[in-house]
Amino acid sequence: MDSPQLSPLSEENSEEPEAASAFSSIPARPPTQKSIEKYAPLSWSDYFDRAEDVCIPGSNDVFRVYTAGSEGPVVFCLHGGGYSGLSFALAASKIKEKARVTAMDLRGHGMTSTDNDSDLSIDTLCNDVVALMNAMYGDSPPAIVLVGHSMGGSVAVHVAAKKIPNVSGLIVVDVVEGTAMASLVHMQKILSSRMQHFKSIEKAIEWSVKGGSLRNVESARVSVPTTLKHNDSKKCYIHRTPLEETEQYWRGWYDGLSEVFLSCPVPKLLMLAGTDRLDKSLTIGQMQGKFQLVVVRNTGHAIQEDVPDEFASLVLNFISRNRIGPHGFEIPGLLRSKQNNLSKDSEAR
Amino acid sequence: MSVDPVPSNSHGQIDEQISQLMQCKPLSEQEVRVLCEKAKEILMEESNVQPVKSPVTICGDIHGQFHDLAELFRIGGKCPDTNYLFMGDYVDRGYYSVETVTLLVALKVRYPQRITILRGNHESRQITQVYGFYDECLRKYGNANVWKIFTDLFDYFPLTALVESEIFCLHGGLSPSIETLDNIRNFDRVQEVPHEGPMCDLLWSDPDDRCGWGISPRGAGYTFGQDISEQFNHTNNLKLIARAHQLVMEGFNWGHEQKVVTIFSAPNYCYRCGNMASILEVDDCKGHTFIQFEPAPRRGEPDVTRRTPDYFL
Repeated sequence: MDSPQLSPLSEENSEEPEAASAFSSIPARPPTQKSIEKYAPLSWSDYFDRAEDVCIPGSNDVFRVYTAGSEGPVVFCLHGGGYSGLSFALAASKIKEKARVTAMDLRGHGMTSTDNDSDLSIDTLCNDVVALMNAMYGDSPPAIVLVGHSMGGSVAVHVAAKKIPNVSGLIVVDVVEGTAMASLVHMQKILSSRMQHFKSIEKAIEWSVKGGSLRNVESARVSVPTTLKHNDSKKCYIHRTPLEETEQYWRGWYDGLSEVFLSCPVPKLLMLAGTDRLDKSLTIGQMQGKFQLVVVRNTGHAIQEDVPDEFASLVLNFISRNRIGPHGFEIPGLLRSKQNNLSKDSEAR
Repeated sequence: MSVDPVPSNSHGQIDEQISQLMQCKPLSEQEVRVLCEKAKEILMEESNVQPVKSPVTICGDIHGQFHDLAELFRIGGKCPDTNYLFMGDYVDRGYYSVETVTLLVALKVRYPQRITILRGNHESRQITQVYGFYDECLRKYGNANVWKIFTDLFDYFPLTALVESEIFCLHGGLSPSIETLDNIRNFDRVQEVPHEGPMCDLLWSDPDDRCGWGISPRGAGYTFGQDISEQFNHTNNLKLIARAHQLVMEGFNWGHEQKVVTIFSAPNYCYRCGNMASILEVDDCKGHTFIQFEPAPRRGEPDVTRRTPDYFL
């Protein structure tokens, strides 16, 4: 298969003007125009309406928050380890038609900066979310549907378990205690085998798609850039979050997660990329009808990035089925009487 | 090439198929096709509320756990020596959905008056594509024809049964759109299980400790409280609602002060849940006896190995 390509190449070389020895200098190999375009970064502003940096009173912690939409309950999105809030960008641009979306960069991730970026313990991450909600919404919080992917799924579950009154729904994306715990022993190897250095942001985007961690080029173009930082001494981009240094927190993210999930007193949706991911307690819980399970086909681990339209409609269906309004659960009886009053008012006029 | 129809005075061929299936060996695609044609003719004559006489043994979810179904027949008695009423969910999750559902359909064709097979929420095109039956058909037959034949047949399965006019049997539970059994008798069931509405509710709803109707956490159907069960039983002169659909650790579970019972017949569900299974015997005098059973001893069954996801942070 190679040979038909080889001969024309050698012909081209022979036609080139007098060149220095191939070994005299590193040949410049800029990416082709096409690949630069194909993997060019996209701005968050194409998907979200606003980006804010929210200071937490009494600390030096500043959290980056992206928001979209103007009505309905708030879909509060928590990304997985090594991702950023922009992991939800494509989905947000769909969800915002019917609900509000807030996606934060967690501690140690994206554009967020804190006094201790390396503390990714489950307690710290949960406290961050609660502190940010307080800073953003004060005394009149809207109804919130917590959505968490992977590590963020664990944070969402633990925040929902705190029984905060305005948390009205919980959506966990592709993380289950049993399978997560089983895969932790392989994580260091998987982390060390991934690419560490990128000559350009485009290269990192290209790698994320070709390496298979993301399957949607458009999503990778908006979500990957904030997962990187520039290393000036090496003159290249590296991962923003040194996940391999956070191993001490991994078990805490997932230990006991299934039982905590089942105990959360709100409607629950578990979105998985494969049926074989359920562990024993969730299999029993599902078979007892304690939560909604949706298996999404043809997607990798980052469901919200790989199939954002399907993800968005699952989230919106969950909200409407469970009648979660901008201020919490809407009881149809009350709504109806309110409408009756309205029509009486208009008749009176 | 067509297969000769079985002469009506001889059951030789179907008896042979049943004994082959009892050894957990699937039929050929052509045999399945002919079998399902006959089953369709029988099932289409049955009512949405199929009347059933006692004695009868009522069973819950099986989910492709063939060896446990064989154990169920050892414990409850062979069909037709014992009459059976199965309340749906024959396929998905277990490794032998094909053999399980083929055997039950073959028994229905051979002994139409001795066995009743209702529809569960898994007897659906959409659900079986996610939870295993579709993939199993592809694996065992090399194409989706057998899946297509069975899912087309599922549309004809009755939705509910009525034992001696007093035990109302169905897979899931009640529906806010249904007050009387006549409401059920009147709708056209021959269709894919819809996403909402009365037919969906019958296959998806669950009883609940809270009174009234509730939104089901499952994403389909409703939850119904004791007040709803009492009202329904009173309106329809029923003593009991027997249903399946929910895993119960002891294999059966009374609810709503004995107005509702849940029966689950897949022991150690999904080969990992550690639950007992049970069946409910209703005798000539309408007395009730639950028989619990554990998983059948297994030989050479595939291990429950799950591929670990490659990225979990």
